[in-house]
Amino acid sequence: MVSLNAVLLVSFLLFSIGIVGVLIRRNALVILMCVELMLNAANLNFIAFARHSGSASGQAFALLVMGFAAAEVAVGLALVVALYRKRDTVQVDDINLLKG
Amino acid sequence: MEQLLLTIGRNMFAIFGVMALAGAALMVASRSAIHSVLAFLFAMLCVAGCFLALEAEFLGMAQILVYAGGIVVLFLFVVMLVEMSRKKESEVFQQQSRYAVVAVLVGAAVFAGVFRKTIFGLASTQPLVLRPELAQGLDVARQNAQAVSRSLFADYLLPFEILSVILLVALVGAVILAKTERV
Repeated sequence: MVSLNAVLLVSFLLFSIGIVGVLIRRNALVILMCVELMLNAANLNFIAFARHSGSASGQAFALLVMGFAAAEVAVGLALVVALYRKRDTVQVDDINLLKG
Repeated sequence: MEQLLLTIGRNMFAIFGVMALAGAALMVASRSAIHSVLAFLFAMLCVAGCFLALEAEFLGMAQILVYAGGIVVLFLFVVMLVEMSRKKESEVFQQQSRYAVVAVLVGAAVFAGVFRKTIFGLASTQPLVLRPELAQGLDVARQNAQAVSRSLFADYLLPFEILSVILLVALVGAVILAKTERV
């Protein structure tokens, strides 16, 4: 038996690590991975609450979130590849076309 | 020995949670992108273990298939394309196959010990609750995944169909974004 608070703590820490990664890393690929990590933390919460309340809805929604994550990665990586073709870099600091 | 395996089985979630956090931290901290991807793979597998420990078997397996089988491979392709063109492969991958084999064997042995008694038992000690008309002819305690599928296709059919359209749009969008200008 796993207590709800333990799962919430793990998912909170995962989400925090994801946010820290998005903020401090400059590589667009690593930033995408950190976003995935945050989606996973949300999934963990869904499953924890599904188990706590005994309802199957949370698990069904977690499955939907997984599909969204896959779609997001496909589009994000296509953007990164297109960007690399155009600017020859994936460091977000070097991409300042819109900067005034 | 038996006692040790029992303790491991009882604390499965804590073990996998700590390992997932370690993998995530390694992912953020490591300098090279390819090490980040490998740490990401490790973290995702550990999150799948967390799902299993929370009695969401289908989601745990789907997590392994979708992340380890799909997303991480996609990331690896792009990292190879973008980062590796300037480096030699031998500089990035060190040859440590012997240690890897030992680590995998130890992990498999621990898993076999932990799951030996439980794998053919009940799926869930705390069965999920379904609406009575959905739960007809279903022993929820044994068939957790079936309960989830009934909930998904009865109550959440519309979101499910919308998701399929979104996946199609993402597919077309990714092809258009990534294709070169001259066709």
